[in-house]
Amino acid sequence: MSTILEVAHLTKRFGGLVAVSDVSFSLQAGEVAGVLGPNGAGKTTLYNLLTGFIRPDEGSVEFMGRSVLGMAPHRIVRLGISRTFQLCRPFVGMTVLENVKVGGLSQPAPPQGRDAHARELIEQVGLAGKENTPVEVMAYGDQRRLEIARALATAPKLLLLDEPFAGLGSGEIAELSALIRRVHQETDLTVLLIEHKLREFMKLVDRVVALDFGEVIADDTPERIVAHPRVIDAYIGTEGHDVEVA
Amino acid sequence: MFTRKIDLLGAAVFVIVMAILPLLFGNTYLTGILTVAIIYAIWAVSWDFMSGLTGRENFGHALFIGAGAYTAGFMNTVWGISGWWAIPSAMVVASLFALVVGFPTLRLKGPYFALAMLSASAIMERLMLIFWEQTGGEEGINGIEPLIYSQLGFYYFVLAVLVVSTAGLLLLAHSNWGLILRAIRGDEATCQAAGLNVTWYKIASLVISGAVAGAGGAIYAQYQLQVSPQVFTVVLSITVITMVYVGGMSSIWGPVGGAILLVLMTELLRDFGEWRLMIYSITLILILFFLPQGLVAPTWQRLKARLGASA
Repeated sequence: MSTILEVAHLTKRFGGLVAVSDVSFSLQAGEVAGVLGPNGAGKTTLYNLLTGFIRPDEGSVEFMGRSVLGMAPHRIVRLGISRTFQLCRPFVGMTVLENVKVGGLSQPAPPQGRDAHARELIEQVGLAGKENTPVEVMAYGDQRRLEIARALATAPKLLLLDEPFAGLGSGEIAELSALIRRVHQETDLTVLLIEHKLREFMKLVDRVVALDFGEVIADDTPERIVAHPRVIDAYIGTEGHDVEVA
Repeated sequence: MFTRKIDLLGAAVFVIVMAILPLLFGNTYLTGILTVAIIYAIWAVSWDFMSGLTGRENFGHALFIGAGAYTAGFMNTVWGISGWWAIPSAMVVASLFALVVGFPTLRLKGPYFALAMLSASAIMERLMLIFWEQTGGEEGINGIEPLIYSQLGFYYFVLAVLVVSTAGLLLLAHSNWGLILRAIRGDEATCQAAGLNVTWYKIASLVISGAVAGAGGAIYAQYQLQVSPQVFTVVLSITVITMVYVGGMSSIWGPVGGAILLVLMTELLRDFGEWRLMIYSITLILILFFLPQGLVAPTWQRLKARLGASA
């Protein structure tokens, strides 16, 4: 496997608060990795740094051997890093089909045509039949699927999912989890996700980078992460012993 | 494709009616009012293309209108260039104004763009008064040569400009470009996450919007045969926005109806003397209060739905 993303000594301060502090990790092409950490640990800030929405104070981000530091968000997307948002942010006032189509407009038109390609993606995420539904009337779980279809439309090599399970019921979480796994298998995609919902998250990922107060406190397999003393301390709490991994 | 055909039919009927109206009444007064109404329609349509689609409200459309009008005025009276050159030149000058204001402000979130447009047009109005030796100050530029000497001929020319610009902007609005502008209205961050250069699209659409408004400004100067600082006023910008709201925002063609309705209403109310402004304002408030989606475009959609149901 080759390294697709190399993050080194990434630091971001907001005034006196160090949101991301000296974070270093790397992703191997084709793996599914996760970023774990309690609220305020700097997970979303890390995503915003990787996708160019905010600029770091220090450190470097290399994607496929190329520095993306200081690049505008839309340029980074065109290189192959695509993201979803923690709170779904669809284009309101537009249909599902139009939403996904916009996602593909930064790419050259596919041979089957833009509409047909968007329809394929909608089917891939399990929204077939809802092409002409206005997004604002859709259930939250469907909006999440739409976010993923829109992200896939940019033809990413690395997909960053920001809390994809937030706000979903357990049935929906299992379905979405299966969808992420399927998409990962069908395409040669590298996936990085941020999550709180431990059980599904741990089943999905090959590797976990655990953050606390903006720092990497552990980088290991899911099995060893849950046993890691600093992770238990920071995330699960000293009282918590009942984390199920299987 | 039933609705597309009906839309085209509706547009054709509209153009034919507008073409026949002056012949039917054959009075120069009505032809004059209709000419002004159509010029307002060109401004309203161009406003809607940028601001209606992207949701970034432009409170100084008069900047482009005035830039176009003064360009036409100067070219004709100072340099003695034929009026036909004034329209493309006005489009270029208005585009430059769009770049100057749009480039620094459209990359920012918040009200900066709206305020910058508003102040830029107000500043231009003052400048026209300050440099009165060149601009003619309050009196403006007089003695512009008519573009077409026949009033009816000029009317048809203006109608043709409206048809071409509305059709062009509608095509753009229904292309992928328009889809992106609507997406910008939906969520700018998501557009960036979709790999789109949001700032570029906003500036480019402001340039297009400004160019069309500038052409309308030049035509207005050639209709009035005179240009005064009034073409830069905030009142003009607000009037154009009101026409868009009454017509139905982001439909592009709806504002044509809005402009014609409001210009005709202003004329019809002349008999009411000093009550005119009050009746006009109350009617507007009622329309906007009860029909926040506008009057013209939604009415047509409803009519079409009924036709579709009976067909």
